[in-house]
Amino acid sequence: MANVLWLQGGACSGNTMSFLDAEEPTVVELITDFGINILWHPTVGLEIGHQVSDLLNSCIKGETQLDIFVFEGSIVQGPNGTGKMNYFADRPMMDWVRELADAAQFVVAIGDCATYGGIPAVPPNPSESTGMQFHKKNKGGFLGTDFVSKGGLPVINIPGCPAHPDWITQILVAISVGRIGDVLIDDYHRPKTFFSDFVQNGCTNAVAFSEKVNGNFGQKGGCLFYEVGCRGPMTHASCNRILWNRHNSKTRANHPCLGCTEPGFPHHDLKKGSVFKTMKYLGFLPKETPPGESKLAYYFKAGVGKVLGNPESADNYGKSK
Amino acid sequence: MANFKELNISPVGRVEGDLDVKVYMENGVVTRAHTQAAMYRGFEKILVGKDPQSGLIVTPRACGICGGSHLYCASSALDTAWGTTLPPNALLLRALGQATETIQSIPRWFYAIFATDLANKKFASKPLYQEVVKRFAAYVGTSFQKGVTASGRPVEVYALFGGQWPHSSYMVPGGVMSAPTLKDITRAHAIMNQFRNDWLETVWLGCSIERYMEVQSWDDLMAWVEENESQYNSDLGLFIRASLEFGLDTFGQGVGKYLAWGTYLHKDLYQKPTIEGRNKAVISASGFWDGERYYEADHRQVMEHVKHAWYENQADALHPFDEPAPTGSTNSTILENTNFDGKYSWAKAPRFMEHAAEAGPLARVIMNANPANLDHQIKDPLFADIMKVKGPSVFTRSLARVHEAPRLYTMINDWLSQIDLDAPFYIKPEEKDGIGWGATEAARGALAHWIEIKEGVIKNYQIIAPTTWNVGPNDSNDNAGPIESALTGIEIEDPHDPVEVGLVARSFDSCLVCTVHAHDNKTGKQLAKFKL
Repeated sequence: MANVLWLQGGACSGNTMSFLDAEEPTVVELITDFGINILWHPTVGLEIGHQVSDLLNSCIKGETQLDIFVFEGSIVQGPNGTGKMNYFADRPMMDWVRELADAAQFVVAIGDCATYGGIPAVPPNPSESTGMQFHKKNKGGFLGTDFVSKGGLPVINIPGCPAHPDWITQILVAISVGRIGDVLIDDYHRPKTFFSDFVQNGCTNAVAFSEKVNGNFGQKGGCLFYEVGCRGPMTHASCNRILWNRHNSKTRANHPCLGCTEPGFPHHDLKKGSVFKTMKYLGFLPKETPPGESKLAYYFKAGVGKVLGNPESADNYGKSK
Repeated sequence: MANFKELNISPVGRVEGDLDVKVYMENGVVTRAHTQAAMYRGFEKILVGKDPQSGLIVTPRACGICGGSHLYCASSALDTAWGTTLPPNALLLRALGQATETIQSIPRWFYAIFATDLANKKFASKPLYQEVVKRFAAYVGTSFQKGVTASGRPVEVYALFGGQWPHSSYMVPGGVMSAPTLKDITRAHAIMNQFRNDWLETVWLGCSIERYMEVQSWDDLMAWVEENESQYNSDLGLFIRASLEFGLDTFGQGVGKYLAWGTYLHKDLYQKPTIEGRNKAVISASGFWDGERYYEADHRQVMEHVKHAWYENQADALHPFDEPAPTGSTNSTILENTNFDGKYSWAKAPRFMEHAAEAGPLARVIMNANPANLDHQIKDPLFADIMKVKGPSVFTRSLARVHEAPRLYTMINDWLSQIDLDAPFYIKPEEKDGIGWGATEAARGALAHWIEIKEGVIKNYQIIAPTTWNVGPNDSNDNAGPIESALTGIEIEDPHDPVEVGLVARSFDSCLVCTVHAHDNKTGKQLAKFKL
């Protein structure tokens, strides 16, 4: 049994929408079978007509046990650090967040905005947005480097834009059934169970990657890393292991991975030439290469592979229906 | 002696961001209402100076429930700016993305957001109340789980073509990223069939889609309800009967003027995308209806007012192409301390031909009833009749929303069967500077993006969302926005549980978590504050 309070700051509700698509378990099963008690949620709160500010204050005072505080959306600190660009229940949302984070056993940041600041925090960051415990790649964020919740963990980050529903539900269940000790987190506070592998693991175009067959929009087969900026080889997430909406993933649908589970998203701050294009040195060497070896070693191996390999030409590659 | 009250209710809306509503009451009747959007992120400002294609990634994230609709606009804006060529397959796959997102929203909105209010104790004395609670109560209602689960199915089809929902960027200038195979098409048909068998015909309609679509008038609809037990007891049948019994057809009229940009660009009629050519190419018609006649939905008739919006360094009543990137004011206030003669919302007040206009499904079905619609466009006279017989209300607006599901289902199946697997899905465009406009009908109404590209980067990006049309504040002439107007005049039975305000706000399906504040009109004393 766990009481969950879910609030939204500078949010689009995408993580909530993703959450509602959860399959095993569904959101309803989470409540009826897994002991999750949603104290309040902006979309599916049971407490219709409830005075939410009373509830929030009751959590802060400890009168209502707050097991999990879920936050979706960026922490809006603008203008000039006042937080007035995001009012909720007659206070800046950031003031609620600070007090609720201190009251909660565990704090879970869901989606890129809550984890790292996300799109709202892209320069010029008009709303002075930041993440719960990170600002982009830098630890700190709103709650600060040293924040640890009552349960003994820092903010548990479930990034992704949006986060996959299973990533969300499984962490809530782990806390609810007392198995949070089994959840190890990485340097960016991501549960390793979902964020150790690369998106490329399980990508149906992985062979085309190793054989250097270029893919492009509107065609079947080929790897999107070389021309249209796919970040699958350097992004930690299980998108091709735990599929989306039961069926698919971006890269399986010929959609370049945007790298949305990494704190740099949107990468290069959307500067000219960075969107759906592979940024290159000398017009042909990818500026970003898969981790694990030096750029030079990668270029060498890739070059040899391209010459020695005998891949089908991109024109014919995978042209079946 | 008149009894003046003021009501602040907190929050009402339920999807994204926060909306505060302040209503002033006199003898239990709302005399004045103000809507205050209470959150600002500045996405349009972030886009300035960025890669021209940034909108494909950024704008779907403006609203998680309408991400596919933002993508439809963002790709279309670039198509018109760059002068792309679109293969028919691309137009079909984009329409499928838009339609599956919209049909997803219908059960999700009805069960998770709207119908739970019908289980409010206000209606406890009504004969149908027990049945409504049994079916629609949150989580435990017998239809609640079926409906919420069903709502996830259509976006599986979206994911087949876009990789995932929400937040794909598969629509790009020149077409789409994906190149589906027969496996995807067959699977999509199967998913939609399951959606029909598990919910749409069995739980929702109680009859075949074909039977429901024979309904042409209000009398037809009433006859449909009474026709047999299956229809009478279906969720739609119960919704109609309960709405009439609970009086949802008696309040929440609104401004009486409607705007739709229309959507679903026809596969053969928009291969050379232009701003001017759009209105004739849409399958769900565009238009502006002022209560008497139809006008062309010309985007040049749009002006945004900021007299009451927290933006600075901006002249009033500008067309989006002429607006600067929004500069958020540092002087925002909270609703309780707000002077409504000044600025009071993060939403701007868009106007069409200088009128406040309601966006949403009701606007769409009114355009579908336009006798001048072309042969490839939807022709459905039902809501011309309902507007005449019943007029606008919480019920009419909600009925319009759910009325679209059967037609969307048939269109999705038709479009799936029209995809030519041997033909292109994408034609690589040439990037250039210029201006573009993309529009659509998001589930909750008219959505449009304006873009200007200069020296290879975005110079100006403006978004007007349906919620901007509906929750916008007063304009520079102090005329109320649609929700402000719809709240004015309603009777609130219990100021400590003003469910009527929630029902009005939710009938607009505003994508904001809405806070309502009730105040005594005379003393200004706050009586109640509720998150709904």
